[in-house]
Amino acid sequence: MTASMELQDVHKSIGNKQIIKGLNFSIKRGEVFGFLGPNGAGKTTTIRMMVGLMKITSGDIKINGLSIKHNFKEAIQHVGAIVENPEMYPFMSGWNNLKHYARMIPGITDERIKEVIRLVGLEKAIHEKVGKYSLGMRQRMGIAQALLHKPSILILDEPTNGLDPAGIREIRTYIRNLAEQEQVSVIVSSHLLSEIELMCDRIGIIKNGELITVEEVQDTNTENDHVTVKLDVDDNEKVKSILQDQLELEAKIVQDRVVANLPKRIVPQLVRKLVEEDIAIYEVAVERSRLEDKFFELIGENTIA
Amino acid sequence: MLNFISLLKNEQMKLYSRFATWSMYIILAVILFAGALIVFVFDNIDEQTYNDNWKEQLAQENEELLEVNEEVEYFGFDSEIAINEYHIENDVKPLPYDAWQFTLENAGLSMIISLFTIIVAAGIISNEYRWGTIKLLLIRPISRTKILFSKFVSVLLFSITMLAFLFIISLVIGAIFFGINGWNPSLVQMGTDGVEEVSIFAEIFTQYGLNMVNLVMMATFAFMISTLFRSSAMAIGLAIFLMFTGNSIIGFVAEYDWAKYILFANTNLNQYFGSGSPVMDGMTLGFSITVLVVYFVLFLLVSWFTFTKRDIAGN
Ligand SMILES: Nc1ncnc2c1ncn2[C@@H]1O[C@H](COP(=O)(O)OP(=O)(O)OP(=O)(O)O)[C@@H](O)[C@H]1O
Ligand SMILES: [Mg+2]
Repeated sequence: MTASMELQDVHKSIGNKQIIKGLNFSIKRGEVFGFLGPNGAGKTTTIRMMVGLMKITSGDIKINGLSIKHNFKEAIQHVGAIVENPEMYPFMSGWNNLKHYARMIPGITDERIKEVIRLVGLEKAIHEKVGKYSLGMRQRMGIAQALLHKPSILILDEPTNGLDPAGIREIRTYIRNLAEQEQVSVIVSSHLLSEIELMCDRIGIIKNGELITVEEVQDTNTENDHVTVKLDVDDNEKVKSILQDQLELEAKIVQDRVVANLPKRIVPQLVRKLVEEDIAIYEVAVERSRLEDKFFELIGENTIA
Repeated sequence: MLNFISLLKNEQMKLYSRFATWSMYIILAVILFAGALIVFVFDNIDEQTYNDNWKEQLAQENEELLEVNEEVEYFGFDSEIAINEYHIENDVKPLPYDAWQFTLENAGLSMIISLFTIIVAAGIISNEYRWGTIKLLLIRPISRTKILFSKFVSVLLFSITMLAFLFIISLVIGAIFFGINGWNPSLVQMGTDGVEEVSIFAEIFTQYGLNMVNLVMMATFAFMISTLFRSSAMAIGLAIFLMFTGNSIIGFVAEYDWAKYILFANTNLNQYFGSGSPVMDGMTLGFSITVLVVYFVLFLLVSWFTFTKRDIAGN
């Protein structure tokens, strides 16, 4: 089976500046792929090339096996996208905005438009001018226009930008549903791991135009995974010695927290022990480590080019 | 094809969803109304109408005009005199001022339509950039060439609609103020070979059509500038500046032979019709049409090349 999308040694230069320096990766059908990187890493530039807004300096991008360079019309038919902010015509109603894009692709009925409006929950405001919409509503409009033609690939550039936690959760649910129930492949970019890790199957980390790594997002319930636990307790020294002497774990005190790295299955045992020892526990923070650490390492040394 | 009509529908929808577009129609209607009112109040049309002794009236008028002509030793009234004589000789009673003549005079207002069309042409591409909607527009299974072409045709459609509006509103307002002399009265005027009698309807059609040439050329120019620089302000500014200074520019350089290749020497095709005379020696209607077509194609090619080849990058 051909990949939904395949990037083959994609380069982009603007003037003398190399912005994208050879990207190679592919996205499987029904997969949610996170495209993560700090500001200026080249996420939007890559997405612009994926949808044919920018020319590829060298290399190629294949969509369901079709080159976006050489078969633009056939390739783009499979794609729905938001590139950066979901800008709409502010002086027209939501309905007319969708109608406008619907007219550009054969076979989209008014019924389908209504269906999409229901899906994104904009029924009430659809006949009002988009200029009056909140940012969250405009993001929904953006998703609606991208879904009109039932694309098999959905590309969303920072779809969580400006959304509140409830909005982010909602988008997460849409995206998971699309991927799992309709086998849509989804590419979501973001510069915040926390906003997309829960919806992605894999995350590619990009920095300065290069792909650093592609990671599977681990199922957080694997009990043998090591996690970092940060404990906020009344007596740091006592807790540290309990961990070291009785549970035989490495522990240190960082910023007034006791920090230890341990298999996830030990966590309940640890809490029980502390309760038995009559320790006052204010907080037990469990952090999944690898991806986050990796990302913070990257962000830490990132300088916007 | 169906596809192309959908694109035209989209462009018209975007155009007419904005108040700015409607205000152009309102402004035009207000100007027409004011014009009719001024003619009605100040021109004393009743005094100019002719009674049963209209032949004597015309002869009298001619004597007065002749006197004036001789006094100032300038024969500016020659054509009026000739027209009056034509009326007398051919037994054609001059018709009173009416809606048709009002409409014919308003052909000059196509200058305002040119202005509005320039504004529309200058915005139709650059606004998509300004609104950021260009990104959503160009990720559909439609070639950029087709999108560009649909926008250009939409500009022409707009100007034709506006011209039709000018024509119809002129007739209506004219009929209300001055009445109307039947459905196709004739008009006696100075032609290339002396005085002639023409259908006023045909004359209106010719005048509106000739003005359309200038309009289309300037709109295409504005369209090109706005595609090139993605700035409607710049396109409007340049196009209007050139529209108003074009003739003086020709005046300055008329002594050089190459001046006849300048766009503005050719946009006014009136120079080859009626009592007009060519801007420069050696120019013919065929020559002007060729020059116009070359400019037109050039403007469109430049637009096409920039629009289809350019990266849509962030601002
Ligand atoms: N038109 C352009 N001309 C020159 N450089 C550009 C242009 N567009 C983008 N860049 C540069 O390319 C790099 C990548 O930009 P891009 O917008 O792709 O980053 P991003 O990962 O989307 O960042 P963000 O998280 O801020 O959206 C940046 O360094 C930017 O300065
Ligand atoms: Mg970006």
